[in-house]
Amino acid sequence: MSPSEITDFVSRTSRALFAREFRAALINRYFQVFCVLGFMGGIAAAIFGEDANATAVFYVQIAIYFVSLFALLAGVGSAQAEREEWQLLFTQPLPRAACVIGKFCALLSMFGGVLLLMFVPGLLAGLAIHAAALLYFETFLLAATFLAFGLAAGYFAHDRAQGLIVGVSVWLLLLFGLDLVALFAARWSAIQNVPDLWVALLMFNPLDSFRINALFALQQIPAEAANKTPLASWWIAHASIWFIAIAIIWSLMLVMLSGLRLKIWEE
Amino acid sequence: MISARDIVKNYGPKPVLRGISLRANAKQITLMVGPNGAGKSTTLKVLAGLIRPNSGTGQVNGFDILKQRILAQRSTAYLPQRPSFHPKLTCLEVLRFYAGLRGVPVSRCEAMLQLTGLGDAARMRTEKLSGGMRQLLGVAFLLLADAPVLLLDEPGLSLDPGWRKWLQQKLRFEAECGKTILVTTHLIAEWNNVADRCLLCRDGIIERELDSRNLPDDFDEMEAVDAARTILDQRFLGSARATRADFGALAEISSEPTSNKVRDGEAPSPAREARALPRATRQLL
Repeated sequence: MSPSEITDFVSRTSRALFAREFRAALINRYFQVFCVLGFMGGIAAAIFGEDANATAVFYVQIAIYFVSLFALLAGVGSAQAEREEWQLLFTQPLPRAACVIGKFCALLSMFGGVLLLMFVPGLLAGLAIHAAALLYFETFLLAATFLAFGLAAGYFAHDRAQGLIVGVSVWLLLLFGLDLVALFAARWSAIQNVPDLWVALLMFNPLDSFRINALFALQQIPAEAANKTPLASWWIAHASIWFIAIAIIWSLMLVMLSGLRLKIWEE
Repeated sequence: MISARDIVKNYGPKPVLRGISLRANAKQITLMVGPNGAGKSTTLKVLAGLIRPNSGTGQVNGFDILKQRILAQRSTAYLPQRPSFHPKLTCLEVLRFYAGLRGVPVSRCEAMLQLTGLGDAARMRTEKLSGGMRQLLGVAFLLLADAPVLLLDEPGLSLDPGWRKWLQQKLRFEAECGKTILVTTHLIAEWNNVADRCLLCRDGIIERELDSRNLPDDFDEMEAVDAARTILDQRFLGSARATRADFGALAEISSEPTSNKVRDGEAPSPAREARALPRATRQLL
């Protein structure tokens, strides 16, 4: 294929995949609920936040408990919706991984739009543009990570129910499970001698990484306030960069894993 | 043109294709017939790039199905046995998506829906289509890309006789336009005098080529004919093949236990074979 043919192929495929995902998302129940609740959450943050900082903390809670879950559900739903169609889809002249990448990019761009809608009320309520932009970007990355988790769960599961069970279990594990494991492990003397071990466990969890970053950044807690290990010191000092890096790594890894799953899929 | 050589495919330890070799020419409808589990659908899936064979090679329209998969798929349109579509999208949206992927003008989507009688269902979600309508949408999808190679897996199973006839005529027309058409089916009799060639697939290999103008009604009959040949060969000619004149004596042996052929888990049934033999004799004569 010549370069112009490749360009034409990529643009044609991207347009087709985006148009289809956009249409499918409009009639996806999770996505509809997400749009409504996201906008209402944004309004609630603006109304109930006593000051700009409180509004930002409200947004952090929405991101952790709501955006992450709905991104995951949307991913599972979208991957499973076309499972029956794989037989037709995979006889089309495009790499199977392109289906995953196209779906991920299309869904993520739609999430980006809805998140924008969610942050508008906060801006109107006095949230600083710089803080709002940073928070928006990080929430967007959190959505990307959980969307990728959802797609992977959806592609690996045999049916929608299994995908949802696996997806929600992963979400609960990341939300509470790993923290509990770290808490119990910290009581064990062997772990107490290497505290970096459980710090690392939290660092690699995108939700904890987002939470720690938000707490130290938004609440303006000085990094020195924490009783830290060397690893924790580094993490807290670079919390924002670390979260961006870990979110991108998780997203890429999971999208690649989904692509691999489709590549080896045989009926 | 389609060619396949020594294609082997195993699902775990179970061999499905044991070295399929076939050739389907342009401007022809090639039929692949065989009983259930013979490997017909798997062969088509390999040619369509859906599954990778364990060994063997194949070409579609001059492109290697493994090394040039994307190019081979550009030349191919494949209709599975039970086509499924995104349940929440309408017929038109589904076709528009595939038209977008293939670089086909969007206007062709509505034309294909009209052609397959789905003009009124264009804005109906595919989850609400009946089995027959879904099959027709599959045919619309098949014809949408105007691909030079068409692969059809048991087409028309859910279609009424009128539409089945229409599909055969349409495929004949497409073949005359220069396309290569490979169809698998176990409804053999329906394709009598429609296909140009007919390959018998059994136990994961192409066993032999049948006369496409004189196809048997079903596989029982074909097996009975085979059994009759075997008996005549054994009784009258030893290892040599029976000639037409020898079949006259068949009635004499039709009431005896006739064949050593035993199906999986089934005891030989002399009575069943005896019933089938007169019909088989007619076929052979």
